[in-house]
Amino acid sequence: MKTITVKYGVDQITKQVEDGFTFGDLQDSDTFKAALGFGDNTKALVDGIEQNRDTIIPAGTTVRIETAANTKA
Amino acid sequence: MEKTEIILQADGSFVERLVSERTLNVGQSVLDTLTENLNRQIRNVFNLPGWGFVHANVGLNDTLWSIAIDRIPLHARFKLINQVLVPMFASTTDIEMPLVWQVPAEVKVVFVVCTKQEDDIVSVEGNWLFACDADKRGYRLPLPNLHDDCRICTGQFEGDQENAFECVKASLEQFNQSKWNADLMRTSEQSQKFFRFQPTKDSFETLPIQGEWTGLCNKISTALWERVVT
Repeated sequence: MKTITVKYGVDQITKQVEDGFTFGDLQDSDTFKAALGFGDNTKALVDGIEQNRDTIIPAGTTVRIETAANTKA
Repeated sequence: MEKTEIILQADGSFVERLVSERTLNVGQSVLDTLTENLNRQIRNVFNLPGWGFVHANVGLNDTLWSIAIDRIPLHARFKLINQVLVPMFASTTDIEMPLVWQVPAEVKVVFVVCTKQEDDIVSVEGNWLFACDADKRGYRLPLPNLHDDCRICTGQFEGDQENAFECVKASLEQFNQSKWNADLMRTSEQSQKFFRFQPTKDSFETLPIQGEWTGLCNKISTALWERVVT
């Protein structure tokens, strides 16, 4: 297990996750979605740099989730 | 300039540190790089008649103008359900009316314009509409014509102006006269709980939001929202 901190706007949560937990897992996680209130269309950033969904989140990382822009339906 | 510092360390030993300082003559490009992500907030830059004071967030490449608005012009189709008039954005048959929704005290709605300057022209790069709570959490209102990041699908208008004042004015004029249609529409249920009107003898009164307003919106967080001056 490892600890990560996730920020969404002014809210944040620090939580333990499995060692193989990826940025994509975080973006899809119902637990984090419920706690922070983000939806399906997001991007994950570390130090302002967008992260690949398949990348494993290093222990102790602070991840900022942002709402992504969509294209016109 | 050089100075000497004597440091008493935790283990009781002393350390001498020599500090040398000199002023570096850095070029503008170095300053620009170092301040690339720094933005300056300026409140009450100008007053737009009929709307209010406009605040600015000045970045290296663009300026974000924000204005807390007290109303949302809703030029859309409406239907009377149980004596309450609610929007029917996807309808093609219900009556079309230019109603004005008055923003209630518990909600703050901010209209945002991004401008860029090139030579003598200031251009509108986009318009956004955010709602926020007292803790500055951002929300996407349950309206169509709004992207997930709260950017307004404005349609065509003259976005190149002589100055930023004219850009903000033109953006709000476009916002004021645009019709709301079903583009980017999600469910109408949230909209109809949020935007409600009571027909009175000679006008339409805005009714309170049905339920907790934040529960009818989508919480958002974007780099642009972080720059908005509320």
